[in-house]
Amino acid sequence: MGGIYIKNKWLPYLLVLPTIIMICIFKIYPIIDSVIQGFASTDSGFTLDNYKHLFADKTFWNSLKVTLKFNIIIIPIQIIVSFIMALFVNVKVRGIEIFRTIFYLPFCISLTISTVIWQMMLNVNNGVVNSMLGVLGLRPVGFLIDKKWALLSIVLISSWRGCAYWMMFILAGLKGIDSAVYESAKIDGSGFFNTLFRITIPLLKNTWLFVLVANTTANFLLFAPMQIATDGGPQGSTNVLMYEAYKSAFKYSNRPRQACLVTILLVIVMLVCFVQNKFMTEKEANK
Amino acid sequence: MKLRKIMALTLVTAMTAGMALTGCGSSGNDSGNDSGSSSSDGGESSGDSVTIKWISQGTGEDGWEGITKPILEAYEEETGVHINAEFYTFNDLFEVIETKSAAGNADFDVMSVDVTYVSKYGSSGYLEPLDQYFSDEEKAKWDDASYQAGVWEDNMYAAPENTSCQELWYNKKLLDEAKITLPENDADNRLTYEQVAELAKQGLEKLDPDGSQGYIGFDFQQISRVYQMNMLANSMGGKNISEDGYSLDGVVNTQPWIDAMTWYQKLVDDGIASQGYDADQLPEQFYAGKMLFMIGGTWTGTSMKCDDEIGSTYAPCFEGHEDEVATSTGSWYFGINSKSKNKDAAADFIKYFTLGKGSDMWLEINGDVPSRLDKQDEIANNEDSSETMKIAAYEAANTAVPRAVTPVFGEYSTVLDQAWEDVRNGADVEESLNNAVEQFDAAVAAYK
Repeated sequence: MGGIYIKNKWLPYLLVLPTIIMICIFKIYPIIDSVIQGFASTDSGFTLDNYKHLFADKTFWNSLKVTLKFNIIIIPIQIIVSFIMALFVNVKVRGIEIFRTIFYLPFCISLTISTVIWQMMLNVNNGVVNSMLGVLGLRPVGFLIDKKWALLSIVLISSWRGCAYWMMFILAGLKGIDSAVYESAKIDGSGFFNTLFRITIPLLKNTWLFVLVANTTANFLLFAPMQIATDGGPQGSTNVLMYEAYKSAFKYSNRPRQACLVTILLVIVMLVCFVQNKFMTEKEANK
Repeated sequence: MKLRKIMALTLVTAMTAGMALTGCGSSGNDSGNDSGSSSSDGGESSGDSVTIKWISQGTGEDGWEGITKPILEAYEEETGVHINAEFYTFNDLFEVIETKSAAGNADFDVMSVDVTYVSKYGSSGYLEPLDQYFSDEEKAKWDDASYQAGVWEDNMYAAPENTSCQELWYNKKLLDEAKITLPENDADNRLTYEQVAELAKQGLEKLDPDGSQGYIGFDFQQISRVYQMNMLANSMGGKNISEDGYSLDGVVNTQPWIDAMTWYQKLVDDGIASQGYDADQLPEQFYAGKMLFMIGGTWTGTSMKCDDEIGSTYAPCFEGHEDEVATSTGSWYFGINSKSKNKDAAADFIKYFTLGKGSDMWLEINGDVPSRLDKQDEIANNEDSSETMKIAAYEAANTAVPRAVTPVFGEYSTVLDQAWEDVRNGADVEESLNNAVEQFDAAVAAYK
């Protein structure tokens, strides 16, 4: 039984070959090409001028600051909220599937559409959020036009949809924990928080690692809400690196600048993921 | 056992072939969809029929997509050449052109070019020079400003579809309700921006004293876009860009710009002008009868959605700057993709749309200001011409200020659009302008 799979050692490689080829063409090649373009001069020679110009550009440093700030805020928020949502929909009550579906629904709406809807809701003139604030006697808030609020509003818009997505992975992780572990803890008199922090969270280690890395990557590369709702403003307060790279490529036709920005972004994402991976692995080794 | 092995290998082969075919298939389909039924690659001829692919802006039946249909049909009927027009939104078109042209794509023949991008596309090699297709006699049929705006470094790269002009539009119904009478004015005795702001303020106090109705007093159709906003600075004597087209230093961080932006910021702070609407949303407020005054193009009249009676008059000037009246101008052009395989047919289509019967139809349908001298004369000398078009013809000839000519217009408009928007949202004027100078200089450093 199943002999051919064991005997033919090339079969597994053959099966994954189409995927590998696609990844090489659509992922690896563009990355290598971007890195090369960043160091290419106009006559196709080697140059550091593209990076020199970029590092002398105040807009780049502002975008880098905004990108880091955005990710420092959004990653913990998304993971904590997704985890709480997953805990809610993990309870065993009748009809819980309906709640799971409702909680997951935001992810089924495209990011562009959800951003436009939020943009209308947060509009300073006639948005429903400001109308509600008006009913409460509060002054309208320029959620998307005030630099104090814009980045937080983008975090809200992105998280409304994003949390639904990450919730499903955490829920899958929760489902993978053996119920006998919870029963033993209950018999031993462990309370809700004790069980949560000493059993549930540690047993989700692999899920955390995946969610952390994937969430970090996704958020570092996110720019659609900024493009649609704020155009990187007000005063550059939502102008993340990825949006700057997009503008360099498609608005300014400055491919070398775009290549430098994307390369820097790639290095940052790799570094952050490496640190996260190291941290999670070490934590496990120490146990 | 052997059967299983054969089945497994068959499965792998089928999967691989399937993926390869899917890849090829989608590409083939795309090509087919992109280029219409009679051509698989842009404007190539197939048998006796020729198809030209034109990429442009203005989606929907109300946009160019809908209103150019009769022109394209008439052209096909007359010449047998099918025009496969593909429309995008305003912002998307620039990205599409950039992506396709930078990749050397030959799957389109004609592109709509915003006047500000002629130099950029020309210097980047995206556009085919048109001098070989247009005789001197034909070039002389456009007004010189329109023709020159399609020229970069002595080559004609684009042909003008029309030009544009700004006027002061007002909602007569709302002004009547507010019992406001517009002072007498003409080309030599214009309303001032300060006067219009005051009238708008009075109107809002009567129509919407607590601000609950969402009326806007006075605003700009293309809000936070240099195309229209720069006319404020120009009306104070400010210039758009340095002579070489590569610097803003000493151009926008100057008193005329500071004064113009400060005046505009006060208009917003006083609640007369709006916040939060972008250039796609704001004009809808005027079309829906929710705005008293708006600086807008000649197409405003045909865009109205409500039945309110509206009127237009000469663009305002600033007090103390009566001799520096400035209005925005320039519009869309046609260019040929330098990689097109059907350049002769593309040029013929462009001539039809810019000088021939297509141009007549277009000016009739769209109501824009003509670039053609014969049509301008027709407006000026025909008693039946609308007042709006007569004003537009006057402004085009006397107060129109060409937009910044620079091969880095993308950077220019991004930086200054943002500065106008930031000032609108309360940012310090001088700081915003200095930031714009710094950002633009850093962005163009690589080109110097």
